[in-house]
Amino acid sequence: MKAVTVSTTDNALMAQVSAGELPKLAVLFERHHRALFRYFVSLNRDRELSEDLVQDVFFRMLRYRASYDPAKAFTAWMYGIARRASLDRARDRRAEVIGIEAITERRGEPASTAPGPEERAAKMQNLGLLERALSLLPADKREILALSRFQEMKYEDIAAVLECEVGAVKVRVYRAVRALEQIYFALEKEKAS
Amino acid sequence: MTCEEIESRMAEYWSKSLDKERESAIEAHLATCETCRAEEQRLGSLWRDLARLPAPEPGPGVRARFYETLEAYRDGAAAEMKHPSSGWRKTAWVWQMAAGVALALTGVAAGYSFHASQAANAEVAQLRGEVGNMRQLVALSLLQQQSASERLRGVSWTYRVEPSDTEVLAALLTAVNHDPNVNVRLAAVDALRPFAATRTTRDAVIQLLQGQTAPIVQVALIDLLVDLKETEAAQELRKVASDSSTDVGVRQRAQWALERLQ
Repeated sequence: MKAVTVSTTDNALMAQVSAGELPKLAVLFERHHRALFRYFVSLNRDRELSEDLVQDVFFRMLRYRASYDPAKAFTAWMYGIARRASLDRARDRRAEVIGIEAITERRGEPASTAPGPEERAAKMQNLGLLERALSLLPADKREILALSRFQEMKYEDIAAVLECEVGAVKVRVYRAVRALEQIYFALEKEKAS
Repeated sequence: MTCEEIESRMAEYWSKSLDKERESAIEAHLATCETCRAEEQRLGSLWRDLARLPAPEPGPGVRARFYETLEAYRDGAAAEMKHPSSGWRKTAWVWQMAAGVALALTGVAAGYSFHASQAANAEVAQLRGEVGNMRQLVALSLLQQQSASERLRGVSWTYRVEPSDTEVLAALLTAVNHDPNVNVRLAAVDALRPFAATRTTRDAVIQLLQGQTAPIVQVALIDLLVDLKETEAAQELRKVASDSSTDVGVRQRAQWALERLQ
């Protein structure tokens, strides 16, 4: 008996959606909607807005399904759409920006211990502080970390999403981590004082 | 490898996407350069910790809304199969996506009139008493909902009413002009297609082009007019093509449409 399998690649599935097999989009939704949600939360720190944006992305994938090129990476295409959906929504909302204070208040204070040189490695484990540092990072740096670290996208695909050179992506990832580290230790110092 | 080169290679080193030779070159440099080694230790540790951050989970409503939208879209696509469009449609979609990309950066969001919404609400209330058509009522009431996904459902319901239903047609035209959500406006443009057999509807679609300010919706309307082979639109398209205050992508699309309609 032939085994039934659903392990088709993203590209093949989207090509089928593009050819009119709309229900196949459900498989792509199940695979990617959480990652997309995380990407949007990384960008805007707003759960409700991010849930709406996830809907926007899948709606646009349906609407523009015929524009999909199976020769190119599906994730790059999807995050390209995600990025534009986010820009459009920001424009619709007249670029409403959530203040840093609002974010940090909502997240609460992370647990703290007195800092010391030998405890530095242990402090790095403080994920609450790291999350707070991430929320204070400029949006473009948060975005590139979300794509490279949370989504684990290839640098070539990130370059396609951000419409820049691959070399520039690599340098920007490194600089984003360095900026994050500076904020992280500034927060740590602030807590110690 | 120099300290400067480290900056361009470190991201790949952390994500383990370097070949053996380059990885060894980095490790050799780190073994001899204390500054780079210290920085790599700090930043590398942070990089690893990033993967340990808990991922936020979307609420259960996201899945329900997706399947509803998919279902609605299938209904719409099935309705469209009954009214097949011309063969170059696929190219139109491709262009529209490309235009969407360009326009997203320069577009202007359409305004939303609360007065229009309130007036429409009153009309719908009146309609409830007068009209017994269930599908029409569902479509019209959904189109008035606060939530954009509900209004999208409303648009999909319009495929189930008779294309001669002028109340639903009016609601769709209002949605194209006034809905604050660009996806609803786009879906409403698509949903106008089955209604477009009459001269009145076609004239209304031409009028919509005048009132629309969102480039992505303007392009969708232009495509609809070309799809309908609407030669009466030429004058309006010429206006769009020559209006310097209109987005350049829309103007080019209008010019393209004029050539197609000749």
